[in-house]
Amino acid sequence: MRSRGSALPSVSSLEEAAAVLQAANNEGRGLRIGRDVTTDGLDRVLEHEAGDLTCTVESGLRLSALNAALALEGQRLSLDPPGDPTIGALLSENVSGPLRHRFGAPRDLVLGVTLVLADGTIASAGGKVVKNVAGYDLSRLVCGSRGRLALIARASFRLHPLPQSQRTLVVATDDAAETVAVLFGSRLEPSALDVLHPGRVAVRFEGSETAVDAQVATAQALVAGNEGDEEIWAESRRRQQEARRTTRFAPGELRDILERLPEAVVRPSAGVAYTATGIQPTSSEPQSPPSAEALHRLEERILRAFDPKGTLRE
Amino acid sequence: MGIDASFVDGLRSALGQQHVITEPEQLRVYECDGLTGHRALPQLVALPGTTEEVQTVVRACYGARVPFVARGAGTGLSGGATPMAGGAVISLTRMNQILEIDLESGRIVVQPGVANLDVTRAVAADGYFYAPDPSSQQVCTIGGNVAENSGGAHCLKHGFTVHHVTGATLVLPEGDTVELGGKALDPDGMDLLGVVVGSEGTLGIVTEVTLRILRVPETVRTLLAGFETTDAAGAAVSGIVSTGILPSAIEMMDRLTIEAAERSTAPGYPAGAGAVLLVELDGVAAQVEEDAAEVERICLEFGAFELRVAADEVARALLWKGRKSAFAAMGRIATDYYVQDGVVPRTKLPEVLRRIEELSEEYGLRVGNVFHAGDGNLHPLVLYDSGQGETERARELAEAILEACLEAGGSLTGEHGVGMDKACSMPRMFSERDLAVFTRLRDAFDPEGLCNPGKVVPTPRLCGEVPGPYRAHALERIGVAERL
Ligand SMILES: Cc1cc2nc3c(=O)[nH]c(=O)nc-3n(C[C@H](O)[C@H](O)[C@H](O)COP(=O)(O)OP(=O)(O)OC[C@H]3O[C@@H](n4cnc5c(N)ncnc54)[C@H](O)[C@@H]3O)c2cc1C
Repeated sequence: MRSRGSALPSVSSLEEAAAVLQAANNEGRGLRIGRDVTTDGLDRVLEHEAGDLTCTVESGLRLSALNAALALEGQRLSLDPPGDPTIGALLSENVSGPLRHRFGAPRDLVLGVTLVLADGTIASAGGKVVKNVAGYDLSRLVCGSRGRLALIARASFRLHPLPQSQRTLVVATDDAAETVAVLFGSRLEPSALDVLHPGRVAVRFEGSETAVDAQVATAQALVAGNEGDEEIWAESRRRQQEARRTTRFAPGELRDILERLPEAVVRPSAGVAYTATGIQPTSSEPQSPPSAEALHRLEERILRAFDPKGTLRE
Repeated sequence: MGIDASFVDGLRSALGQQHVITEPEQLRVYECDGLTGHRALPQLVALPGTTEEVQTVVRACYGARVPFVARGAGTGLSGGATPMAGGAVISLTRMNQILEIDLESGRIVVQPGVANLDVTRAVAADGYFYAPDPSSQQVCTIGGNVAENSGGAHCLKHGFTVHHVTGATLVLPEGDTVELGGKALDPDGMDLLGVVVGSEGTLGIVTEVTLRILRVPETVRTLLAGFETTDAAGAAVSGIVSTGILPSAIEMMDRLTIEAAERSTAPGYPAGAGAVLLVELDGVAAQVEEDAAEVERICLEFGAFELRVAADEVARALLWKGRKSAFAAMGRIATDYYVQDGVVPRTKLPEVLRRIEELSEEYGLRVGNVFHAGDGNLHPLVLYDSGQGETERARELAEAILEACLEAGGSLTGEHGVGMDKACSMPRMFSERDLAVFTRLRDAFDPEGLCNPGKVVPTPRLCGEVPGPYRAHALERIGVAERL
């Protein structure tokens, strides 16, 4: 077991991870993955099958390191969350960035996982092929679980080719909802579309050079706008990271949401708004109280099934 | 306990006399799904019309410890909807309403009994479509699609059912109702929706579903290429994918299935072809045109001897005709056939196809291949004659083909599900510990084990005590020597 400067125990194999979790579990000690134990030592790319557009990696690997390795073969994992999370954090937070618009969240690109449960059980689910419906999809279940279900030790992903070309269009507008509606109503296929509220809509096109140019030209004819660069996406991610609050809404209610929020980074196709201020917008998707209670009970039952002693803490 | 007169009366007064079936003659309709080799007669079929009525039925079953199974159109191919003898079937066919079309959000809210194709039909006039398109889409239901995480020819680019379900109402096996997700994506917390989709009706009954609908693409181009061999066609598939092109569909048919198709619907595919490849591209015109030219070039480079291109609906339909009729066409050249559903990494396609050919010779049975080449999802059709006592041999051959898929690092099933058919094969892909964790999850949803028991996870009662030969899970073999 390696200890880094911070003296945090860092596991570097499945066995070590199992031993650390099991010990805490036996001793009745709570454990926060990423804090009391890290997977920094589990940082290998185990397999990258370029021809299959898939890879299998250990969970302590940073996204930037993975993408650097994949870029050698002209490929990428199409996720661009703020910061540079480890693969384990990426999954357990199910965090995405502007590319969410076209490529989805981690839960949409993960193909399989190997987990270490609190009692030291090592179990795999899913697989490494892009299509597979055998067994329960625990690789999706752990997405968003914030380290409370199990330690994610390995994961396989679906990859995409790096685009030959990409361009960004920034539309300055005081009616962002209208701009978005026009773009959604068109047949353009942007890779990212964010509203940097108030005032701007950013759109990114990727593909072959001629196709990207054609899309930008069509988009400009529809909503005007000027050429932008990476800076606006960096701003979007930064504001997302600094946000204090996430509001979810039906994408068709974008106008209402923008009217209610003084500022936000909004990903309209996902129906998500990230705001720095802590105002309390009424959720457009209220749950009936009995359903919310039943959901809470179900989640508790699943947590107890995976971790009966409640060893894993957030 | 069990289904007695008061149980039946209770349901009849809640659902209406005619929505609770107990006549053996009428029950027979429900004794199997598309996997007709497995049959069992349920004791009762309930046809609820609302979420509350589903709850009522489930609560009654829970109270009397009656096992139950949800059923859509019964087109499943793995025995997922096969009832338990003496149990109850909950048919969702009456719940076939489209509840809300929200074009501004790109969402549609439907009841589970709505047929897949009816979703697209409901929004087509507005220029939208629902992407997952199983071949059974005229009849199979959204509830069944959600349970099986169904795919279709166009899932290569657009994704599977799980990528298109944004919300669901689920009646849990004890009768409570939960709402998962909604119109927005990525709700906080563990991805319950992601695990419910594809859970084959074992975690509860879905009574309402919110789906993503997409804008109809600006341009669609379909290409058909004739090759001498499946090897050459397979190499072209790899060639296309490695250039970074992402077609919406890449389908392949081999000599035997082309022959069968010619005899039934006569699509007029290139004469003498050992394999045909159907490649469809969709998206913005500039990209599609460029990619189509590239696909043509690659096909020729890998030895295509004939190329056809379709740019309009009529021409497209003609190119797809043979592919769409492939399964049914098998009836022209064989009395019986079994459809296998396995997955291999795309790069292993040629190797596995050769292995299937060897196996076919070894077992003395013909195997046709028609499959989703783009994502490595094989559908070998094992042809046999039950009248000649070939059934058992066909089953063994189908098993051996699966083994070859797993050997290549693939999966037991790409879209038809585990169900009853492959539950006992699960130990070949997953370890006992993997399966034990699956069971932990299932028990958390269904502590009494009443919701579609005997499916997905093998049980000693079903499979005997000895699990099949286990191989390290694909994910584990990669960095191996670490299994505890
Ligand atoms: C000719 C043919 C072609 C096919 N092509 C394809 C294809 O291209 N791609 C593909 O993926 N599949 C295909 N299939 C398989 C099948 O059509 C799909 O699995 C389909 O999703 C099943 O839908 P169904 O309504 O018939 O479900 P059923 O067969 O009735 O049930 C399937 C499973 O879903 C469960 N279920 C049904 N409704 C609900 C509900 N409301 N809540 C919870 N669980 C429920 C059942 O319990 C069962 O386990 C094909 C089948 C046939 C016969």
